[in-house]
Amino acid sequence: MPRLTLGDWVDHGVDWLQSHLSWLFDAISAVVTGLYDAIDAVLSAPEPLLFAGILAVVAWWLRGLAAGLLAFAGFALIDSVALWDEAMSTLSLVLVATLVTLVVAVPLGVWASRSKTVSAVVRPVLDFMQTMPAMVYLIPGIIFFGVGVVPGIIATIVFALPPGVRMTELGIRQVDGELVEAAEAFGTTPRNTLLRVQLPLALPTIMAGINQVIMLGLSMVVIAGMVGGGGLGGAVYRAIGNVDIGLGFEAGVSIVVLAMYLDRITGALGRQVSPLGRRALAKARSLTRRPQLWNHRPQPVVAVVGVAVLALVAGGMGVLGGAPAAGTKGADDVGHGKKISLGYIPWDEGIASTFLWKEVLERRGYRVDVQQYEAGALYTGMAGGQIDVQTDAWLPVTHATYWKKYQNKLEDLGSWYGPTSLELSVPSYMKDVDSLDDLKGKGGQFKNRVVGIEPSAGMMGILKDKVLKEYGLEGEYKVIDGSTPGMLAELKRAYAKKEPVVVTLWSPHWAYSTYDLKKLKDPKGTWGKGDGVHTLARKGFSAEHPKVGAWLKDFTLSEEQLTGLEAKIQQTGKGKEQQAVRAWLQENPGLVDKMAPL
Amino acid sequence: MSRLQADHLFKVFGRRPDEAVGKLNGGIGRDELRADGTTAAVIDASFTVEPGQIFVVMGLSGSGKSTLLRMLNGLLEPTAGRVLFDGQDLTALSPRELRAVRANKISMVFQHFALFPHRSVLENAAYGLEVQGVSRSERERRAAEALELCGLAGWEKSWPDELSGGMQQRVGLARALATDADLLLMDESFSALDPLIRRDMQDQLLELQKRLKKTIVFITHDLNEAMRLGDSIAVMRDGRIVQLGTAEDILVRPANDYVASFIQDVDRTRVLTAEAVMTAPLRPGAGDCGCESVAPGTPVAEVCAVSARVPHPVAVKDDRGTLVGVVPQSRLIGFIGDEQRPPTACDRPGPQTEKEVAHA
Repeated sequence: MPRLTLGDWVDHGVDWLQSHLSWLFDAISAVVTGLYDAIDAVLSAPEPLLFAGILAVVAWWLRGLAAGLLAFAGFALIDSVALWDEAMSTLSLVLVATLVTLVVAVPLGVWASRSKTVSAVVRPVLDFMQTMPAMVYLIPGIIFFGVGVVPGIIATIVFALPPGVRMTELGIRQVDGELVEAAEAFGTTPRNTLLRVQLPLALPTIMAGINQVIMLGLSMVVIAGMVGGGGLGGAVYRAIGNVDIGLGFEAGVSIVVLAMYLDRITGALGRQVSPLGRRALAKARSLTRRPQLWNHRPQPVVAVVGVAVLALVAGGMGVLGGAPAAGTKGADDVGHGKKISLGYIPWDEGIASTFLWKEVLERRGYRVDVQQYEAGALYTGMAGGQIDVQTDAWLPVTHATYWKKYQNKLEDLGSWYGPTSLELSVPSYMKDVDSLDDLKGKGGQFKNRVVGIEPSAGMMGILKDKVLKEYGLEGEYKVIDGSTPGMLAELKRAYAKKEPVVVTLWSPHWAYSTYDLKKLKDPKGTWGKGDGVHTLARKGFSAEHPKVGAWLKDFTLSEEQLTGLEAKIQQTGKGKEQQAVRAWLQENPGLVDKMAPL
Repeated sequence: MSRLQADHLFKVFGRRPDEAVGKLNGGIGRDELRADGTTAAVIDASFTVEPGQIFVVMGLSGSGKSTLLRMLNGLLEPTAGRVLFDGQDLTALSPRELRAVRANKISMVFQHFALFPHRSVLENAAYGLEVQGVSRSERERRAAEALELCGLAGWEKSWPDELSGGMQQRVGLARALATDADLLLMDESFSALDPLIRRDMQDQLLELQKRLKKTIVFITHDLNEAMRLGDSIAVMRDGRIVQLGTAEDILVRPANDYVASFIQDVDRTRVLTAEAVMTAPLRPGAGDCGCESVAPGTPVAEVCAVSARVPHPVAVKDDRGTLVGVVPQSRLIGFIGDEQRPPTACDRPGPQTEKEVAHA
C-alpha cells in the first residue's frame, strides 16, 4: 500500500485556513467571547446564595417545591465547596455553546428533514463530529481561535451539535404524514405547515435533543478546561493533574449538580412549551386529585415576581457592594495597570512559580491574569500571542517537541531552576533494584511494564529509543503510554499494596516527598544531562515590557526555596495559592525586591 | 356543466415518467413497466362528477384510488392529463393558486381522521377557516355550527384524544364542512371505524348530503359502502378504471370477471331496488286495490317483505301514486337465486294447487 499523506494535507489545509481566513476566525472568536463575557457577567454578578435562590424559584415553578428545595441545596453545596465562580463560568460556557448549537442545529435539522440529499450529506458529517476525539480538533481550534474559552466552546458545539440536528430531523420526520397532508389539503403554505403543525408536534423530540445538547456540553467542560476554558473543567483538570481526589470529587459533584439541574429544568420546560406536553401534564394532573405539598407549583405570576425580587436584591447588592478594589499606588507602581497573562501547566513547580510571579507583578502595579493549560495548548497559545509568559518550560529535553515547533515565535528568558533530572523510579521497598541494570531479568516481577506518561513528552522518546536499548531491556519491558495523572494513580495504587512497579518520573516532583521512592541509577548516562526549568515569553514580550523581561531573566530559585513554597501551597489548600504565596513571602522578606528591583 | 372532470389522468412514480405514459398509451402493461422500476399508479382515468353527486371510487388497496383522489386537489401532480374543477384546469395552476383553491373550494376527510392533537376540537374544526384568514370570532362561530351539524355540539373544548373514533371522524367531517367548500374528498373516511359506527356515519353522511348538496368524491374498498353511498361508482383495478356506472349497472351488468367476482359478496337485495326487478303490469287494474305498494327506490329486501303480505304481485308506484310496474313473487325469487331464465311449464299439466298437493 502506498502511504497516503492524509495528515500532510490536513496540515497544509490548517495552515492555509490560518493564513487566509483569520479574519473569519477572529470574527467568530469575538462574537463567542462577547456572548460568553456577557452571560458570565450576568451570572456571576449576584451573591451566590441569592442566585441559587433565583434558580430554585425557577425549579419550583417548573417542577414543584421539592425540586426547588433540592436545587437550592445543590447550588448551596457548590458555593460551600468554594467552586461558585467556576460553576458560573462553566454554566456560561454551556449556555453559550447551547445557544450557538441551537441556532445552527434546529434549522439544519429542519432542512435535513425536508431534503433527502441534505440528510444524506449531513449524516456522515455528524458522525465525524460526534466520534472524532476532541483533542484532535482542539489543538487546531487553538491555532484558529487562540486559547481560552473560545476553542472550548467550539469543541463543545462540535460535540453537542449532532444530537440537536438528529433529534430535530427525527422529530419532524416522525410527525404523522396524514397530518402534514391534512394541512396541505386545506391549503396551508409549506412555511405554516412547518410552524403550525410540524414544529409544534416535533417539539417534545426537539426538546429531548436540546436536553442532550446541554448534557453533552457539560460532559465536554473538562476537555475545555484543558485549553484554558477555566471553570469546573479547569478545576477537574487541575485535580487530576495532581491526583487530588478530594478536589476532583468536589468539582465533579458540582458538574453533576449543574447537569441535573439543567436536565430537569429543560425537561420540564419542554413539557411546558410544547402543546402536547401541556396536554399530557393536564391529563396527569386530572388523574391525581389531591395536590401534595411537594408537588406544589406557584402561579407563573408568583414565580416571575419571586425571580424579579431576588434579581433586584441581587442587583442592588451588586451596586452597593461593588466598591472598587484599592489598587497599588505610589512608587511601587511601575505597571500602571498593564495586563500580563501567565499560563501554566498544573505541575507543582509551575503553579508555585506562576503564583509567585502573579503576586510580585501585582505588587508592582500590573494586572495579572493566570490560567492553567494542557502543555500543547499552552505552547500553541503562546505562539498565537494570547499568553505572555510561562515559567515551567522544561528544556532542552522534556518540552523539546513543542520548542522545536514554536521556537521562532517564543523568547527564552533563561532557566530559573536546575538541573532537573529524568529517571525511572521504583518504590524503596524494591530492595534489590537500585540501578537500571538491575531491571534486567526481573520483567516478570514488574509485569513487563514501565508505566509511562504522555507519549508526546520528550522523556518518553528517550526512554523508548535510548534507555531501554542501552540497558538491553527492549523486548522484556513494554512502555505503557498514558498520562501523568494515570502514572501517578498507578504508582499510588501499587505503593499502597506494596506491589512492584517502575514508573517514569522526574525531579523535582512532589511524589518524592509523598512516597519513599528510589531513583534508578543510570551508570551509562543515557538520560543525558538534566533539563533546566525555563521561563518563556511570547516573541516581542521583552520589547514591550522591558522591565518585566529583565526581572524574569534574572529569576532563580534554590531547591530549598522551591520546595518550601510548594509545601506552603500544599498546606494552604487548593484555590488559595496566592494566599500561600503571600504567607511564604512574609517568611522570606526582601525577596520581592530581589526578584523585581525598582 | 359538470363540477369535476378527470380527463385521461396518469400518475407514474419513478424514473422518466413521461416516457412511461407514452408506453402505456402504446399498450404496454403495468407489470412490464414495474420491471424498469417505474410504478404506474393511475392509468388513463377519465370521469365526470355532477354537482350534488356522490361519486365513489372503489378498489382494493394498491389499485391507485388514493393516488387518483390526491390528483383531484393537486396534492399530487398528474403525470399526464387534466383535472377540470368548475371548468378550471387545476393542473395549470401555480402552487399559490392551487393552495387558494384547496383552502376555499375543496376540502378533504382522511382515513385516520388526521386531527391535530395539539388543537382542541373547536380549533381543529376551525383549521380550514384559519388558513383562509377568517377572523377569530367568525371562524369559531362557523366551526361551532359545523360541529353542531355533525352532532358534536358541546364537545368544542374537548381534545381529539378524548373522543371515540366515530366522534373524531365527525370532527374531521366538521373541519371539511366548515370551509364551505363545494367539493368534499373523502379518503376511506369510514374504513377505520367499526361496522356499527361505520353504518351510522354512512347514514349521517347521506342525511347531511340531502341538506347540503355537496359534491363528494368518496374512496372506499368496501363495495357495500360504495353501493350504499354512490350515485355513480368507478371500480378500479391495477390503476385503471374497469367499470363506471350506477350501483345497478355494476350489479346487473358487471363489465368483466373481476367486477363479477367482486359483487358476489354484495347483498344484492339491499342494493337493487324495485325498479330493477319490476315488470310491466300483466293484468289491467293492477294497483287499483288498497293493498300495500312500494316506491321504485325501495330495496328488493323490503319488496320481499311486502310481497309476503299481499296476495298478488306488488305494485310499484312513483311519488305521485302512478303505477310504474309490478313485481311478481317469481321474479323476486328468481332474482335472489340469480336465475335469469323464465320459469318453464310443468311436465304434468293440470290444476295443481296447494290444496291438492296437501291431499296427495
